[in-house]
Amino acid sequence: MRFCWDLVTIARLIAAIWLLASVSGAVAQEERPAAPPEAPAAASAEAEATGEEPDEEGLDAAAVEAEISAQVISGEAKVRLDAARESVVQIRGFFAGSESSAFHGSGFAVDDGRRIVTNYHVVAPAVLYPRQYRIEFLASDGSTGPLRVLAFDVRNDLAVVAGDDLDLPRLRLRTEIPAQGERAWSIGFPLNLGLTITEGVANGLVENSFEQSIHYTGAINGGMSGGPALDRRGRVYGVNVSVVTGRQLVGFVVPAKHIPPLLARAGTPLEQSLSAQQLRQRVAAQVLSYEAEVLEARPDPAVTQTVRGYVLPTQISRHLECNTVDERSPHPRMRVEAVGCRIPPRILVQLGQNVAGLIVQHRILQSQGLHPLQFERQVNRLAKGPRRSGTPEHVAPFACRDAVVSLDGFDARISTCVRQYRLFDGLYDFDVTVVSIDDAEQALVSRLALQGIAFESGRRIMERYLGGLQWKP
Amino acid sequence: MEAVMLVEQLEPHGRLVLRQRFESAGTACRIGRELGCDMVLSDEHAAPQHALLTLLEDGRVSVRDLGTKNGTRVDGKRIPAGVEAIVEQGELIVGRTRLRVRTRYTPVVPERIFRRDFVRRHRTPLAAAGVSACIAYGAFQQWLSAPTSIFRSVTAGLLVALGAIALWVGLWALISKLNHGMWEGRVHAAIVSIGAALCAWGLWLAGVVAFATQWSVLVQIGLFLAGAVALLALYLHLREATYYDRRISLALAVTLTLVIGAVAWIIAIRGDDGDVNRVKLGPDVRLGADRVVPNRDVADYLAEVDELKRDAGRERQKSLLDSPLAEAED
Repeated sequence: MRFCWDLVTIARLIAAIWLLASVSGAVAQEERPAAPPEAPAAASAEAEATGEEPDEEGLDAAAVEAEISAQVISGEAKVRLDAARESVVQIRGFFAGSESSAFHGSGFAVDDGRRIVTNYHVVAPAVLYPRQYRIEFLASDGSTGPLRVLAFDVRNDLAVVAGDDLDLPRLRLRTEIPAQGERAWSIGFPLNLGLTITEGVANGLVENSFEQSIHYTGAINGGMSGGPALDRRGRVYGVNVSVVTGRQLVGFVVPAKHIPPLLARAGTPLEQSLSAQQLRQRVAAQVLSYEAEVLEARPDPAVTQTVRGYVLPTQISRHLECNTVDERSPHPRMRVEAVGCRIPPRILVQLGQNVAGLIVQHRILQSQGLHPLQFERQVNRLAKGPRRSGTPEHVAPFACRDAVVSLDGFDARISTCVRQYRLFDGLYDFDVTVVSIDDAEQALVSRLALQGIAFESGRRIMERYLGGLQWKP
Repeated sequence: MEAVMLVEQLEPHGRLVLRQRFESAGTACRIGRELGCDMVLSDEHAAPQHALLTLLEDGRVSVRDLGTKNGTRVDGKRIPAGVEAIVEQGELIVGRTRLRVRTRYTPVVPERIFRRDFVRRHRTPLAAAGVSACIAYGAFQQWLSAPTSIFRSVTAGLLVALGAIALWVGLWALISKLNHGMWEGRVHAAIVSIGAALCAWGLWLAGVVAFATQWSVLVQIGLFLAGAVALLALYLHLREATYYDRRISLALAVTLTLVIGAVAWIIAIRGDDGDVNRVKLGPDVRLGADRVVPNRDVADYLAEVDELKRDAGRERQKSLLDSPLAEAED
């Protein structure tokens, strides 16, 4: 199949790569330039929207072909863009009295034309540090003005902001999920490059997920966050989210059905009625209610996996996804079998800080002719392995307790470490390490890591996890 | 035994300057700045004729002040003018000069065993044993962690141990050489290698015992003892091999130990606080090893985990105090 590409396809591919590379070369934050052969259309459309033109060298037959096909598609994109242009604003955040923006995203007018919908993470600094950051809009006609946060939904990454005397043409919402394969467009200000439209395909709700998010195959770059995702009739079916990095043309869109309830809550600016601390508490409360639903959801029935006599609780939460990891052993005379399960921390409370994650990692180590002392050293080393990174500005240091505990069928040294978030005093990280100590030839090193969770629910999950560990030869 | 008196003149720190012996009852010793005195002082605070010591019939000594302005003190007490003090022994202060008077009543302490020479006498076997123990430790650690390329890693451990010892011994040998003209290499080598081996093996053993007893404090006690061994080693370096005075050696050793300990502590504290991802797992596990304390059950342990909520809160408060949030709390 790979060898059957005709010349034109290869040339198209080269042209698409070249175009994308020239776009990403123009900005500091680099996206992977290689585009799969299915997507030259989107790439060309994006290139056109940002005003890139191929020069003499690129004007061979293939580029001409690519340009022609781009023109055919961009006709439709242009209609969408023109229709929405005046409704979309760039949202810019400023640090204190600074004149140059510290962060930016996109937003669009709905409802009465005064209120603007965007992502929570775009305006998070203004929510968490209201006295340090201010946000402003920049409309298509060049007008600017201050914005204030009216409501936010951390779980779905949505926020409603409003300008004082803003009156933009509004976009219509479409609350049902687009069918898989429906053509769709995303609008926003990627990487501060100016208003841009990208074309792609809506792929329905993300499968096997507790999370309500639509998979969009098309480019959503940083800065397009909060911009509208449009369907064929120009209605907003969702809001762009661009926080997933390192993936090509896999975007996520928050379904529009979450917008009306949020609009219903959005009344007066939050900072008028709430202190900075109360705002943070509200953020934490939303995270915790999400967790109660997702992390603590009991599986039915409890799923376990047995590896070399150890019964491992692989699904202590219903939404945990597990896979057997082919892990390289740190020692040639030791075998490692690993089962890793996780719920990725999908809630972004502020840039660089995701919470509400759960990781379970079981490792069964088997000595293959190692001296017991040598094996012991390897076990200790693996137990001490590096922890996920928290930064000193976001989290406080761990407090730990360890003990040798009799579990079901085996003895283990359990070490539990807990730390708090500096900004949110209701959120905790848990790090539990279990090392079996009975056998000098074989050992279980298991870890449970919880990220941004209430202490009590963390403890409940921990109890469930410890209760599930078993040795049944 | 007939009457005899020994008068010793001491320097302010107590070292002997000169000694004079007087025999037979009735013999007197005049002390002062005049050349006619039996014991001539060069002390501007002493009178030309300051004090008179007379050896009595019964072997004791009578002390009389000869009417001076500064007076004469016996064991710290000033003798009133014209009064005779009768002593069996004692320390006199004449002007600012210290004198010690001994008679036949002064007890003679039995011979003290000369232990100081032990390290020096056995320096070769001691150095050999110490260096071997250090090398064994380095090789053991290498064997534990990287047993695949055993030859290379053990050689590396060996060279590192030898190099460190050589550097330390060289430094001290130089100090000895400058101080009293001898290198004393083997003595220094014996001291440092035995000290290091004691620390290394002792800490390893402390880890084993700490896991068996589930008592992490033991590791800290082990560290404390290692500090004590280091103090002793430094003292021996200074005292036995470099011939410093005992008090100077002790003072220097204590100071050095405290400085090194403080630096290590600050580094440890810094490293600890700087890393929010550091977890404390407790003593390293020993697989299949006997344990002295009984295991807990899960419910007990979980009850203990509940206390972590308070501990974590305390850590957060501390962290907020150390570096407040960008925006102060309302």
